[in-house]
Amino acid sequence: METVIALIKNPMVIEFIVTMVKIGFIFGLTIGFFAPMLAWVERKQSAVMQDRVGANRAGVFGFTVIGLLHSLADAIKLIFKEDFIPRGAERGLHTLAPALAVIPALVVFAVIPFGGQYTLWGLDVNLVIADLDVGLLYVFAISSLATYGVVIAGWSSNNNWSLLGGLRASAQMFSYEVTMGLTVIGLIMYYQSLSLVDIVAKQENFWHWGIIWHFPAFVLFLACAVAENKRVPFDAPEAESELVAGYFTEYSGMKFVMFWTAEFIEMVSISGMCVALFLGGHHIPFLTQKFLLTALGDIFGPDWGGVVVMLIGVGVFITKLVILLVLQMTIRWTMPRFRYDQIMKLGWKMILPLSLCWIFLVGVGILTGVMPTP
Amino acid sequence: MAINIKKVDRNVTMTFLERMYIPYMLHGMWVAVRHSAVNMLGFFEEILAGKSKRRVMTLFYPEEYPEIPPAYRGKPVLVRRDDGLEACVACGLCEAACPPSCISIIGGERDNGERFPVSYTLDGTRCIYCGFCEEVCPKEAIVMSDRFQGLCEYDRSKMIYDKESLLVPRRELQRRLDTIRNKYFSEERYR
Repeated sequence: METVIALIKNPMVIEFIVTMVKIGFIFGLTIGFFAPMLAWVERKQSAVMQDRVGANRAGVFGFTVIGLLHSLADAIKLIFKEDFIPRGAERGLHTLAPALAVIPALVVFAVIPFGGQYTLWGLDVNLVIADLDVGLLYVFAISSLATYGVVIAGWSSNNNWSLLGGLRASAQMFSYEVTMGLTVIGLIMYYQSLSLVDIVAKQENFWHWGIIWHFPAFVLFLACAVAENKRVPFDAPEAESELVAGYFTEYSGMKFVMFWTAEFIEMVSISGMCVALFLGGHHIPFLTQKFLLTALGDIFGPDWGGVVVMLIGVGVFITKLVILLVLQMTIRWTMPRFRYDQIMKLGWKMILPLSLCWIFLVGVGILTGVMPTP
Repeated sequence: MAINIKKVDRNVTMTFLERMYIPYMLHGMWVAVRHSAVNMLGFFEEILAGKSKRRVMTLFYPEEYPEIPPAYRGKPVLVRRDDGLEACVACGLCEAACPPSCISIIGGERDNGERFPVSYTLDGTRCIYCGFCEEVCPKEAIVMSDRFQGLCEYDRSKMIYDKESLLVPRRELQRRLDTIRNKYFSEERYR
């Protein structure tokens, strides 16, 4: 018994447990909550926008819960579907591709802070799975890996539509990777840091939020993010009316679900990036964490007050995330698809020069002191 | 010979604002958000005030039944007179007029000298719902009803309707009978 207690009190074990809890929270948030909820929102919000009713039939004993159970029904249906690999397909790569699509989307979340730093019962809790000094570089490195999943899926399927989808996806994702990186350079110059935790910590003051000083970068980043996620209006790689389903035409069952959830998780993680970079992470405008800690510490005591502040921080982060997700969904159901050459032209001829201009302007602003750095 | 080149006006001249894309994108998103807000309010209204207040025009089909227009041509049925006998006199005009020949009649005679169909078979697998039988019938004995449910079966033999399954009381078909009288007897060629 005493050895167990000694083991539990070992700081490394505690850190391990805390990290596992954080990872579990992120898994639950993305795969467990956002993926099925976004599937529901995509159906229901589009229906409500277009004066339709939307999915409302699946139910248990007559309870349909405004169509929420459709995600569950889909999951059950797709689990029991045949996992079909077409003749002539590269079996190994065909099986590997969905995993390669999902994992980068999930792993990006490791460096996105979903809360602040708190001290609870003498334990420092930093609500980010890995506080990397090069967090932003890590994000870009990992999210370019997601291209492999798509390209391999397109190539290994032995299908013309898949191959075309994979080609389009690779070109689109590479070009928008570049532009997306450039839109963020201005922010890196402004916050003097590559660590997302640092960047969020420096946004405690509302007037230092990224969206206040870097609104053009925010718009450009959001456009790149939608293109990077291959969602409408940039969904040329999986264009239903042109390429059947693009790179995942030949997938069925749970592999199909993996591509599907990869898309939603990518959406969530890119929105998380957006929140951390531009919308001040877990910070509430005009309310500092110190103020909250003292105010709630008086009521609940320092430790439980810290827990409450932590929950509020996570709640604020998720709220901002949901706002961004709804914005992306609205864009998705409003815009028609761009032509492929239009996507390329927008990426290379519009967003790239604009982001370069913005980097120049930020540099001038910081040098002349117009833009006060935090 | 010079090739006649016609320049197609695709009407793509856009104003500056339209070429900027983003203002009109925001406008489109505003329209979408406005619709969803109105529909969400309608949704709550529907819960509170019942289905009559509904804004979304979707019909919940199995629970709600659409209103069939009187000119609709559904399953052809035989008219049962008020005294319970068939109005059909087995003249065979419908049989002759039927383009896919799905009707077959065997005629007979009642004790009082009235002619009647001993058997009247309508092959549902062949019927094309053209309504010629109704148009040609001198006794208004066969009409196109508004029935469209249950016309499909897994077994072809179930789709061959005999006389008993085709007979429908006259009062249920009154609306259609009025319609065809209006339709066929007001047209020029019948005057």
